[in-house]
Amino acid sequence: MKYESQKIAQNFYTFAVVLFLVQVLVGIIAALQFIWPDFFPLKFNIIRDLHINALVVWLLMGLMGATYYVVPEESQSELWSIPLAKFQFWATVVAITAVVLGYIWMGFDPQANKYIAGTLLLNEGREYIEAPRWADWLIALSVILFLINNFMTMYKSKRWTGIQGTLLGGLTFLALMYLPGMFYTKSMVKDQYWWWWVIHLWVEGAWEVIAGALLAFMLMKVTNVERHVVERWMYVEVALVLFTGILGTGHHYYWIGTPEYWLWVGGIFSALEPIPLLVMVWDAFRTTRTHRVVSNRLGLFYATSHAIFNFVGAGLWGVIHTLPQVNKWTHGTQITTAHGHLAFYGAYVLLVMSMIYITLPLIRGAENFNTSRGYRSFWWMTISMIFIVLTLTGAGMVQTYMERLVGLDYVTVKANYNLWFWIFRAIFGLGFLYGVTLFVIDFFKLGREPVEAVATEPSETTV
Amino acid sequence: MSNRGIRNLFIFGSLFFFAIFVALTVDTMKKVDKRVPEITEEVDAGKKLWHKYDCIGCHTILGNGSYFAPDLTKITVNKPEGYLEKFLVNPRKVKPSAAMPVLGITPDEAKKLVAFLDWVSKVDTNGWPPKPVLAKYSMPQVPGVTVYEKYNCKACHMISGVGGTSGPDLTHVASRRSDPEWHKQHIRDPQSVVPDSAMPPFPQMSEEELNQLVDYLITLK
Repeated sequence: MKYESQKIAQNFYTFAVVLFLVQVLVGIIAALQFIWPDFFPLKFNIIRDLHINALVVWLLMGLMGATYYVVPEESQSELWSIPLAKFQFWATVVAITAVVLGYIWMGFDPQANKYIAGTLLLNEGREYIEAPRWADWLIALSVILFLINNFMTMYKSKRWTGIQGTLLGGLTFLALMYLPGMFYTKSMVKDQYWWWWVIHLWVEGAWEVIAGALLAFMLMKVTNVERHVVERWMYVEVALVLFTGILGTGHHYYWIGTPEYWLWVGGIFSALEPIPLLVMVWDAFRTTRTHRVVSNRLGLFYATSHAIFNFVGAGLWGVIHTLPQVNKWTHGTQITTAHGHLAFYGAYVLLVMSMIYITLPLIRGAENFNTSRGYRSFWWMTISMIFIVLTLTGAGMVQTYMERLVGLDYVTVKANYNLWFWIFRAIFGLGFLYGVTLFVIDFFKLGREPVEAVATEPSETTV
Repeated sequence: MSNRGIRNLFIFGSLFFFAIFVALTVDTMKKVDKRVPEITEEVDAGKKLWHKYDCIGCHTILGNGSYFAPDLTKITVNKPEGYLEKFLVNPRKVKPSAAMPVLGITPDEAKKLVAFLDWVSKVDTNGWPPKPVLAKYSMPQVPGVTVYEKYNCKACHMISGVGGTSGPDLTHVASRRSDPEWHKQHIRDPQSVVPDSAMPPFPQMSEEELNQLVDYLITLK
């Protein structure tokens, strides 16, 4: 770490890691509710709202922390304003806490979610963007302050690198794509149409652009690869992401009441969406193979794993049900849940974790740290997640066959034929929780344990 | 190509694809109102309640949402009139095995929610959800089954795993009720033999259809 202000990243990481643990804890409650719907005082909808909102917020916090680390380093200057970054951090924490308390309140008293001046007080009742409108404005304000701070840092230093330009471009796109979720439409068809602008253009647009930029940064940071090479491939990757991903939004417009031409547009472009993700895998492997001076092997391990599981989860598990002929039968089944879990894990959980493992040791001044917990955490999480995804895929196949083809009732399939899948999913969920717990412990202990007491890896290794 | 060249390709290429996307969006917004029924005040009020009660936290609609409870796109087509209005107010009173909690929905709110769901059921969804193509192979080819299908009994009742769960499972109904006369009376006027029944009466069923249906039902042992 070269600049004092990069330390602010740690605040964001800490909040992200705590929310990650919360996300997985409530995820296990939700998994058990598939088996016993009434066992917990809060109903499934509230638990799920917490599960998916914690996910979105912790990933955003992680990406913000990563950006606060990357931008000073790329600009070769201190951050424009540390007090502003601190204010933005604490304001976000307060707003998010208020939203969470609101969900819990609504869980105990559904009538508390009242319309005030035309908007809902506690929960907007729209998937992923449940946060009420007043919180939307606070979140938007926080993101704007964050963007200003980073933009000013770059502007003052006059060093425009490709990595930070792409990173900031992706973040600006992310901020803009929050806006289509902030107005009411009377038509449910239009409601879902604009809602997908937010959800799809985030996860298959802006966030993948950010991932491309951060992957380039990480490869450069942990190997001795030249900047112009990583930046060139970064441009190729993010270009392909947006060329395929923007019109790939069409795969959400097959069955919601939108015109038939979306079957063609969505089918063609979303079939191409895995290509940039495959280029990222190739990029990570090529760089690792040809540049063998590695300063942080655990970090590179996570970064490469991120590239692989981004491709498998977002790419392969997406493309299997993206063609309209297939999607007609699988739309709205557990196949989508399986895809969602592996895609978020591979594309973004591992991305934020690899950024943490690459930057946190430098922030804490601990180039030598115990990596064994980091590896164990990875294997516990990844193997558990693979089995969670396989059980969900199995459940989705059974559901597609029995409900969609044979005509069995949804509840019958869920309660009888898929019961074992839910049980196994919950068990593997506990495995995942164990992996996350190891990671959280590692996060708080990294660089703070006596180095003699742990087995350390040489910091510069030639493989 | 230089890095600068690829960067420009990235920027202008992305803007190009985004421009196409915006153009398609403008076109979709023009066409979409013709593919849906008129949005009355009641439908809009129902949609606002849909959001208020966070229904999407458990259900899917148009296939999107949570995967914990049934998809509601065609729910009003598959339930008898008046059923959902009662169910929404107190699910377990209508169907004891229901997992849905009492949310405090008033009878007036239930009416609005049903109006909204009925609106959704009439949206032109390019043929989604598809008809279950294998369903016909699971039923015997007797006239009673044709009547059973015609009056959509499977919307609420289940035989050998196929059908709904709002009403009792009929797989072994003849073991419980073997008297054909009881069945005939029950189908014509359910409340006359089961006072709290949520099943609608079927006076429109012809005498021949009724006989065929009951002949089939009493084989289900």
